[in-house]
Amino acid sequence: MHSNRRDFLRKSLAAALAGAGAFSALGNLRIVAAAANQPRYRFGDYKALVCIFLSGGNDSINSIVPYSTAQYADYLRSRNGLASAGGLALGQSAVQAQSLDALANVPGLPGGLPGDGGSYGLHPSLAPLRTLFNTEKMAVVANVGTLLQPTTQAQYQAGSVPLPPQLFSHDDQSISWQTGRPDDANADGWGGRIADLMYSANAGAGPMSISLANENRFLRAAVINPYAMDASGVDRMSFLGDGSESWIMGDNPGGAAAYRALIAEGTQAHVLERAYAQASGSAIDNYEIVGAALDAAPPLTTVFPDSDLGAQLAMVARLIGVRAALGMSRQVFFVSTGDYDSHDGQIANQGDNLAQLAAAMAAFHAATGELGVANDVTAFTASDFGRSLAVNGDGTDHGWGGHHFVLGGAVRGRRFYGRMPSLAQNTKKNPLANPDDTGYGQIIPTTSVDQYAATLASWFGVTAGDLADIFPNLHRFDATNLRFLG
Amino acid sequence: MRSNRRWAVGLLSGIVLSATALAQTPGHRPDAQFAHGFESVDQGPTRDADAARFLAQATFGPTTSSIARVRTLGYRGWLDEQFAMPVSTSEPYLDWVAGLPDNNDVTDDARLEIWAINAIGLPDPSRGNAVPADALRQRVAYALSQIFVVSNGNGTLNYQPWALASYQDMLAARAFGNFSDLLRSVTLHPAMGIYLSMLQNQKEDEERNIHPDENFAREVLQLFSVGLVRLNPDGSEIVQGGVPVPSYSQATVRGFAAVFTGWNWSNAGCGPNTYTCCNEETYFWCGPSNRDEAPWQQPMQPVEAYHDSLNTKQLLVYTGAALPGGVLPAGGSAQADLDAALANIVRHPNVGPFIARRLIQNLVTSNPSAGYIRRVAQAFDDNGQGVRGDMKAVLRAVLLDVEARYGHWQRADTFGKLREPLLKFTHLWRAMDARSANRRVGNLSTWPYLEERIGQAPLRSPTVFNFFKPDYSRPGEVRSAGLRSPEFQILSDTLAVGTPNRLFYEVFCYYTGSDRCWDSDAPDTLQMNLARDAPLAASDPAALLDRYNLLFLSGQMSPFMRARLLQQLQQLTANDYGSALGRVRVQNALYLIVNSPEYSIQK
Repeated sequence: MHSNRRDFLRKSLAAALAGAGAFSALGNLRIVAAAANQPRYRFGDYKALVCIFLSGGNDSINSIVPYSTAQYADYLRSRNGLASAGGLALGQSAVQAQSLDALANVPGLPGGLPGDGGSYGLHPSLAPLRTLFNTEKMAVVANVGTLLQPTTQAQYQAGSVPLPPQLFSHDDQSISWQTGRPDDANADGWGGRIADLMYSANAGAGPMSISLANENRFLRAAVINPYAMDASGVDRMSFLGDGSESWIMGDNPGGAAAYRALIAEGTQAHVLERAYAQASGSAIDNYEIVGAALDAAPPLTTVFPDSDLGAQLAMVARLIGVRAALGMSRQVFFVSTGDYDSHDGQIANQGDNLAQLAAAMAAFHAATGELGVANDVTAFTASDFGRSLAVNGDGTDHGWGGHHFVLGGAVRGRRFYGRMPSLAQNTKKNPLANPDDTGYGQIIPTTSVDQYAATLASWFGVTAGDLADIFPNLHRFDATNLRFLG
Repeated sequence: MRSNRRWAVGLLSGIVLSATALAQTPGHRPDAQFAHGFESVDQGPTRDADAARFLAQATFGPTTSSIARVRTLGYRGWLDEQFAMPVSTSEPYLDWVAGLPDNNDVTDDARLEIWAINAIGLPDPSRGNAVPADALRQRVAYALSQIFVVSNGNGTLNYQPWALASYQDMLAARAFGNFSDLLRSVTLHPAMGIYLSMLQNQKEDEERNIHPDENFAREVLQLFSVGLVRLNPDGSEIVQGGVPVPSYSQATVRGFAAVFTGWNWSNAGCGPNTYTCCNEETYFWCGPSNRDEAPWQQPMQPVEAYHDSLNTKQLLVYTGAALPGGVLPAGGSAQADLDAALANIVRHPNVGPFIARRLIQNLVTSNPSAGYIRRVAQAFDDNGQGVRGDMKAVLRAVLLDVEARYGHWQRADTFGKLREPLLKFTHLWRAMDARSANRRVGNLSTWPYLEERIGQAPLRSPTVFNFFKPDYSRPGEVRSAGLRSPEFQILSDTLAVGTPNRLFYEVFCYYTGSDRCWDSDAPDTLQMNLARDAPLAASDPAALLDRYNLLFLSGQMSPFMRARLLQQLQQLTANDYGSALGRVRVQNALYLIVNSPEYSIQK
């Protein structure tokens, strides 16, 4: 259809905008046009961000576990004893076998040991990530969560500082994680905001922000629509004649033209009809560009695990592989996996989930190496929240702070960033045993989502000024860059 | 009660305004019907198109016979007839499949078969080929399944078609009763007990650092009844100091979590020869062994030893709450605490506007006015005989409100909603007299799974938040205009192609007499009766479009769309297609209509 969509946009903008009302589907392209005419960003290099969203709230307390004596004793008690005895705690030697051998801190730079004097290892299902950590490709960012400002236990219990609204609600916290804006429930995603700013820096017409997990807030933008595609690839519309099942209807002269006429711009009076037509039209435009690029590309040799996340990350790798055909020097991806909401049966469920996560992440990193972009692609995990330190029987409830992984050649790996929290149990007799606990088993974050995201965005090329726009609360926190990407 | 004259004047000015706008985009709107829209609801419908439009809201799709029925009985009469229809259930079908000599594997796909039979109104082979006639009830049960969500997406429920069929039957049975009974049945159904982990929930144990599971407590408030923020009767958020006021706190969630402790499998049928009965000793390992055993379909029952009776419990606080300060005193049994807690929820002033908006959005329009929500919420608060939560009164209010019946004239360019993908299929099957040879239904058992092909399937939501959220607003013009568009949340680029492709397959493969595709003539393939309309399509394609305008677009097809479709149908000639011309024209008309913007938006 339109091989150079940006030229098409430029040429048709004048004609379209003259006649279009304020709410014309093309109206928003005024902003794109402005950005196209005066680009804010120019890049000679390539970078990609990949958000791996763990849906439901991953229990990071059982993902990164202390094996040092004092911390393990707290952990064992708080988790109601060993899983093998009906509690939720992993075995000490199993964790130590997956030790994260962190480098000592370098003076003047953040990142190094866990910060609480303890030693940590991974859940055994995460074994492939241990190698990545210990070979400096991966870092742990400790106890990240949504905050409006740094918050202590005393402040939380006194209600003396503003808190993110609807803490512990999946929906709201997922959104806050994906926007970095707990203060604005209607904000676009920070990935989407970056796409709005940087789209014009790309030479080509391909989609810049791509989701392999359907609609999400992370990529939602004011102008640049994310492309939501399936990990299995791109299907063409059968009725238009060039799909794998088009043969069923035979030639059907005129059919494709009639379909296109009904979804054409300017033929719908109703707002929702226009939106439906636009969604259909852009889906067709996008599959023509992306489908052609993928079809022409040689297959990857890296083997991905046969799992949902494996399939999503495999497609991300392929889309990175065709970045030149898409004309992209900056790409943002969203994948999602879960259910991590382990209220029940956590030992089995989380074990399976984490095994899938680690295998897929390891394969993805290998694929970026195969593509020669290992230092240019950074993947990072995110989740609704961590889970409660306390257990509910065979599972855990919604928590707040959680630990996350950042993975890529550019990461200053083999380090912890931030401070691992106390895992002591608050009891009625000793209600302040754990200063990091809200008082009911949810851990108060010591690193904010703003800081985590801004560090990634800054590496990606966002200027300091634009960072302050995307993360207006960032200045309330000590470090605006956590330095896990140099 | 508003006078006919007052809203008639308002309606007229609405039509004048849209006539002005018509001049700007000629032919792209339905023709204004000046003669209509003034009769009161009790005198309507006076046109087949209005009957069809009503049925598009109240059922899985209009049919010729149901249009005639609504014309005969009127809106109210049809609702009354529907309220009295016997319930079509789904669990017996699974038993029937299990007893067949072959193809007797009862998977979750078998559950989708009976869902389709009941939704479409097909002869049910498990019940002597009786044809389900409770069209409204089935449609409302589907709407309720998107509010009180359980799903086979949960690992355990994925292998429990009997439990999910039973849950569906419970929603259908409760759809026309009282909301408090509906909420109670939802709370105690074992499918929900599994899905939101209330089953075998236990009271706190400080020694072992165990707190009660908060999953159901949180979601019953957030998603099933009250919502996160306090609401005015018209559904708008109550705001103080510029910030919405929360309906409850984390302490409230913990209070309800403590209430919902001590509930376990029903002991129906338990015993040494079947499965372990649930009591204090067996609490965590009792219950059914096989999928078709009774406890999967019976309400949960309490085991007091695991119920928290020691603590007071903070419940909802609101003006008029029966409990002082919303605090439930300690010492109650599991049943007594549950009764008090559910009553505390149901009497909260949020419930009326909360449920009103969701039902309106599910059946009628994504952007109801404040007045419409308020009127429906009022019907929830009091059905006219002093009863709170009467679902019949609520449904009458939703479907007979002036905005439901005439909103498409009042706000011609924004009223309505994007039809869900699944409803396009049921509509096609109903309108085109689909039948299968062996009375089973294989069409929903796709690979990849239906919910991956078209974005949704009954009781297969990815999370408890349903396939799409009530507040979703598509970025771009929709969002700039401050409108909501929930169903657009599953219109990804993949699904914007996937659903049309599945519809393509239905239209071009699955018709009576076809062997075009590998499964066209499989005994369980639901085939549409394209031959019925083929003669008309061949001889008078304009008349075919008139028929489909009524059946699919409720008479609202724009002149532009009609002209363009006619052009395409006329382009297909007997030279090219011979005796197949009629069928090919029908296929083109059906495909182009069901994937068109005008049909896709139900107005």
